[in-house]
Amino acid sequence: MNSKIQSDIKELVEQQVISQESASKIEAYYQSKKVNTPNRLFTVFGVLGSLLVGLGIILILAHNWDDFSKATKTFFAFLPLVIGQIFVGFSILKHKSAVRKEASGTFLFFAVGSAISLISQIYNIPGNFSSFLLTWMLLCVPLIYLLRSHALAILHVVFMTYYAADLGYSFISNGQTPWFYLLLLALVLPHYGQLLKHKTNANITSIFNWLLPLSVTIVLGAFVDNMDAFGVLMYVVLFGLLYNIGKIPLFNDQKLRRNGYLVLGALGTMYMLILTSFDWLWEDIIRNTLAYNSQEFYISVVLFVITTGILVYSFSKKWVAAFNLSHYAFLIFTVIFFIGFDNKFIPLTLINLLILMIALITIKIGADKFHFGILNYGLLIIAVLIICRFFDTDMSFVIRGLLFVGFGLGFFLANYLMLKKQRENKGELKKQ
Amino acid sequence: MKAGYIFIIFLVVAAVQIVVPTQMILNREEVLNTGAVYKFKTRPVDPADPFRGKYIALDFEADSYKTTNASWDRKEAIFIYLDIDSLGFAEIYKVSKDILPGLDKDYVKAKVDWYADYNGELNIEYPFNRFYMEESKAYEAEVAVRENQRDSLLNDVYAIVYVKAGESVLKDVIINGMPIKDYVEKEVENN
Repeated sequence: MNSKIQSDIKELVEQQVISQESASKIEAYYQSKKVNTPNRLFTVFGVLGSLLVGLGIILILAHNWDDFSKATKTFFAFLPLVIGQIFVGFSILKHKSAVRKEASGTFLFFAVGSAISLISQIYNIPGNFSSFLLTWMLLCVPLIYLLRSHALAILHVVFMTYYAADLGYSFISNGQTPWFYLLLLALVLPHYGQLLKHKTNANITSIFNWLLPLSVTIVLGAFVDNMDAFGVLMYVVLFGLLYNIGKIPLFNDQKLRRNGYLVLGALGTMYMLILTSFDWLWEDIIRNTLAYNSQEFYISVVLFVITTGILVYSFSKKWVAAFNLSHYAFLIFTVIFFIGFDNKFIPLTLINLLILMIALITIKIGADKFHFGILNYGLLIIAVLIICRFFDTDMSFVIRGLLFVGFGLGFFLANYLMLKKQRENKGELKKQ
Repeated sequence: MKAGYIFIIFLVVAAVQIVVPTQMILNREEVLNTGAVYKFKTRPVDPADPFRGKYIALDFEADSYKTTNASWDRKEAIFIYLDIDSLGFAEIYKVSKDILPGLDKDYVKAKVDWYADYNGELNIEYPFNRFYMEESKAYEAEVAVRENQRDSLLNDVYAIVYVKAGESVLKDVIINGMPIKDYVEKEVENN
């Protein structure tokens, strides 16, 4: 039990808020809870230790000792692998603690990597880096499930992102699509599903709530040849998907900092909207005809169907606040994207209006919930929108200046009003 | 699931983890033992790889092929049929997108690097363009070769490549008649 709770209980007893009896009960409760939780710190250090040792071995072997014979080098390539396997086998057979499993699994993960890389070295196998990563990942996937290891699942997500980025973004390899990323993603999802089901509110689950959407956001661009018009649409729809996933009660009922879907979805959508509120995209679309028979188009369609599916389902479950435009920002954007072709002013006006509406709704939600963060996020959107429009419109400096002053005052006023309202509420609470 | 079952599955996984790298070794050994030897004229430079250590990247002289066929995709798999020139070095006999059953020549599987329209040259990326070296020596090796090439003392830098049925293994890089490893050691001693 931490000392904060102990001192709080002591204070409550002294102030006669709770009796000595309930104080002992509370203390007993925390004590029993502590027995049930494994030593988290120990797990973290165990995993970190294995990670460093594993990486260290890779680096030592990467020195490529010239004086050793081929046979000796091969022996050293397999040595860490076999040691790791013995550790892991032992942990499984003897029902060792989760700490032991996490640590030995992490070690084995890197031992597999070092074995493959050392053999590539000995035999000068060039194989591109991404195929090396892919082999490595596939050889270690089963360990996630056999050891029920979170550390291995995290390593898997990190390395599959690395793999896809290496294959899809390398500047000379135009147009290699990392399709195997989808397989690697599918392979880790059951583990994540188990976490969501059994440990919804655990810290480890919220790590995945961030890592997975982040990984998909990073990798999506690797699936297209060039980020042209459909690339933009694709990302808008992806962020719409993340936002709508984040609004499912399973995630939405958690604290915002645990809900990577919602945060990434909301910020991403706004980023894309601001980006497309400049005229470059629309001029580009008017100049070039859209390539409908392209990978970008098909991926956009797939994402769009999935996102719409989730939105419709959320509607049927009444999870969606009807007025919250952020839910269907992707839908509105898609419609604007396809109608505004012969004239850039119509789509530009609509996008600007959409941003403004989302900002106002955000401010309203912030005010209703007494949440200063949300309120100021809404105000910030408007501020950014205004700043952006100053770059591409010919307004006189006086009007721009007045707008800025007016908007700054609005910031103060909104925050002040909410603070006042909050104080009044507290006052009423005290009177009762 | 019972620990027994988990352990059995783990044994299978562990076996696969050992078999895959072993298979890599065996494939290579087979080419080294039974393949044909070719000498590719080359020029080394020095990059590194974060996991697999220092290597020298090799630029080969026989890395382009004149062809009027312009339909080559980048990274497309191609087969390079080899011949030996009058000086005993490897040269390209023919490049094909498919294996040519009637042609009795050794070939290696490679990739299209790019096709230059203006001179009709197809540039080839060989799968044996990396030679791993001890980290302290890779850079020295590059410097040694560069210096010598500038002084034009050195024009017999070549890679020994074993070839069998499309597969190829880089055995060593030879400078002035000795393995690059020994050559670099000697250069460092001399300086």
